[in-house]
Amino acid sequence: MNLNQKKFRTFYLSLFFIILYVPVLSVVLYSFNKSSSTAYWAGFTLNWYKELFNDRVILEAFNVSIKVALLTALLSAIVGTASAITSVYVTKKTEKTTNGLMFLPLIVPEVALGVSLLIFFSALKLPFGTFTLVISHSLFCVPYVYIMVQLRLKEINISIIEAAKDLGATRGQIIKTIILPLVMPSTLTASLLALAMSLDDVIISTYMAGPTTTTLPVHIFSMMRVGVTPKVNALCTLFLVGTFFLIGINQIIGTKGGKFFEQK
Amino acid sequence: MKKIKQNLPAFPILAYLTILVGIPLLLVVILSFLSRDSLGNIIFEFTLSNYKKMFDPVYLKVFLNSFTLAILTGIITLLIGYPVAYFTASLDRKMRSFVILLIMLPFWISSLLRTYGWSILLGKEGLINNILMFFNIIDKPLNMMYKFGTVLTGTAYMLVPFMILSIYNSVDKLDRSLLEASYDLGGGKWKTFFNITLPLTMPGIAQGYTLVFIPALGLYYISDLLGGGNTMFIGNLINNMATRGRNRPLASAFAIGMILLVVLVLFIYGRVTKNNKESLYQ
Amino acid sequence: MIEQLLSIRNINKFFGKSHILKDVTLDIRDGEFITLLGPSGCGKTTILRCIAGLESIDSGDILLYGESIKDLAPNKRNVNTVFQNYALFPHLNVYDNVAYGPRIKKSISEDEIKKRVTEMLELVQMSGFEKRMTHQLSGGQKQRIAIARALINKPDILLLDEPLGALDLKLRKYMQTELALLQKRTKTTFIYVTHDQEEALNMSDRIVVINEGVVQQVGTPNDVYNNSKNLFVADFIGDRNIKEVIVLEKKEDFYRVKLGSSVIDIKADRSMADRDKCDGTGSAILAIHMDKMKISYTQILNSLYGEITFVHYAGSQIRTDVDVDGEVITVIEYQNDYDNYNIGDKVYVSWEENGALLLPKEK
Repeated sequence: MNLNQKKFRTFYLSLFFIILYVPVLSVVLYSFNKSSSTAYWAGFTLNWYKELFNDRVILEAFNVSIKVALLTALLSAIVGTASAITSVYVTKKTEKTTNGLMFLPLIVPEVALGVSLLIFFSALKLPFGTFTLVISHSLFCVPYVYIMVQLRLKEINISIIEAAKDLGATRGQIIKTIILPLVMPSTLTASLLALAMSLDDVIISTYMAGPTTTTLPVHIFSMMRVGVTPKVNALCTLFLVGTFFLIGINQIIGTKGGKFFEQK
Repeated sequence: MKKIKQNLPAFPILAYLTILVGIPLLLVVILSFLSRDSLGNIIFEFTLSNYKKMFDPVYLKVFLNSFTLAILTGIITLLIGYPVAYFTASLDRKMRSFVILLIMLPFWISSLLRTYGWSILLGKEGLINNILMFFNIIDKPLNMMYKFGTVLTGTAYMLVPFMILSIYNSVDKLDRSLLEASYDLGGGKWKTFFNITLPLTMPGIAQGYTLVFIPALGLYYISDLLGGGNTMFIGNLINNMATRGRNRPLASAFAIGMILLVVLVLFIYGRVTKNNKESLYQ
Repeated sequence: MIEQLLSIRNINKFFGKSHILKDVTLDIRDGEFITLLGPSGCGKTTILRCIAGLESIDSGDILLYGESIKDLAPNKRNVNTVFQNYALFPHLNVYDNVAYGPRIKKSISEDEIKKRVTEMLELVQMSGFEKRMTHQLSGGQKQRIAIARALINKPDILLLDEPLGALDLKLRKYMQTELALLQKRTKTTFIYVTHDQEEALNMSDRIVVINEGVVQQVGTPNDVYNNSKNLFVADFIGDRNIKEVIVLEKKEDFYRVKLGSSVIDIKADRSMADRDKCDGTGSAILAIHMDKMKISYTQILNSLYGEITFVHYAGSQIRTDVDVDGEVITVIEYQNDYDNYNIGDKVYVSWEENGALLLPKEK
């Protein structure tokens, strides 16, 4: 690649990333604007953030979101990991069927899925709230845990499992002492992803929210459609900070988990 | 018997999925063939009226809008994203992982945030208009919000990382020696690109296009925030019908219609990639 | 009385349509070091895995101390394996790796485990490595931990699947001696798998030569080296000249055969050839160890006469090719001061009696 090509490459990529991040940055920027309008810059302020902490509705929605996200991550971790480990021991046909059903929620458009769950849960006369939120969120989170754990499982050298058998371990013991420890990093990473996806979900949460339980994104969404105060910006900015926090944790887990696979 | 014993551990998860995914979807299918009375109760009588309604010019236009949006989103993300993927693949290892991180980062950032950002930029009093007016490039603010193009921009922006990553995977797997052979045989830069690179990265393009097309059909909050309800898309329609419209049977029918569209796209993707695999092994 | 520890009776194994093990029958004695030797794909590893229980057999039986184990799961057999790639648990340190077997079987207390682990590590000369993680070890060290991990369970049999394959030459030779000593010291029966005949000859009490799923010969290293039962074994073990000869006549204690235009006698007890087919029309295979031959400029009784076509000095050896009526015989000798071969020299090639074998010609 000659110099001109390299220059163009740098130019193009830089331009791309600027366009990619400008919308995000402008939200952050205007969260500090004294004026509630984007027409002009009225000076730096933290008022909007202060207002946030006094807004009961928002805080309540935040609680709900965190609770749901944590429960979803936990549920998805358990269900996803268990299914992935199970898929190694069952017949190919069963594995294929599981895969198909597993990924169905990802293929079906969220609107359709949301409507179907709405109909289903109302038919069952279930109260809408945390429970329905967690269950529905897990539907699109479990596949990610499943796939990531499956990938990790495939990387485990089969002779390690044979060695454990050879040394006297039963299947249950192999899962407990060998498989689970080795897939744990993947489970954790995928759970973090589940956490992020659950926190971010808008569409399904709209349908699954109860009369008293709204998730933060759903609330933000309604704020965006109606009001014009930068309180929304402030909220989004805080959300962003939280996101980076999650990413940081993910990176740390990633490097620690990598050590186990240096020998093959 | 032995097979059943072997498959026993999978029963819980299969039950879980069947109950939570299979049954709801089944209900949707069933509901789509029913109708409701003026009070909103379900009439348990088989009818095709919902599906017939879909072919109403009004509704057909909605499907067309969504379809067009998805197609155009795919094209735009392809045109913008291909060079990004290509250039990223040509970077050295350290730079490359950094750039890939930057590409993946938006996945973690709230999608509402990312969409809202565009309304800040494109509004009458938005950042772009401010800057343009500040530099006297225009004297009246441009009307960029609440148009088809606005929704297109937002959707493409949201989905472009999918396209980039899919293409990147393909480009990364490209055998450099093939390109060198082409140069060696006298092919110029562009000729090599069109004859070698492009065909060989087709799998990535196909996958990226599919990964962009399908969500583009359903991200209705983007059209809500940026489209302002002026141009209706399938997602908005279903949402309205299911909640405010209180017409779940109709919403179900449209949901099924949407799902069928998705299945169609996946089917096409499957055929395209199958053919591609065969030609590679010739 | 030699105890029959393990009996393998007529086992057959198929992988799909491939008949991998064909009616294999074998007896392993208590306390011996026996090696399964053969080329890649001959089935030796498969036999090992069948003994371990990691593969099932399609017919036949495997008896340990007279009791059938063929239906026992691998974790129920008192047999342990040292894997080719060591298969150490990457998430456990050395101590936990070695302690895995006793711990998982919950058969002894933690104190007793500690004692045994320390003992084992001492045995394989890896004391002090308890806290290390496996990826911090070298190949040779991993090897030893794998052995310790297996031996700590006091198995009836230790199975070793080409354990030295990944090590460099010097380390390999060192470990060969170590393993042989270890076997004698622990008095455990070792079943060893390798494709390296030198390794097998060095370490084993007995060798089982296998080809294409069929046992070719079972015997001591001397047996298989000098008294090979068939062409495959004769060719596989050692460096031999393999030439087709015509059998002219057979006498009471020797066979008269013709190679090219030379007529030579082979002692009868060096012949595995079918006695009925020796009447001047039958052919047989003459196999002579290259390093049991000698070149002489003066005529020797019962020798081959030919012309030197190639001489190669390789370290302490001289390899000389002699053309005997179109057949090239290679002779390996050890250097002497006065040897000075020239291409074109006419020489006589003779050999030690026990270096030659007459074998039936197989289809």
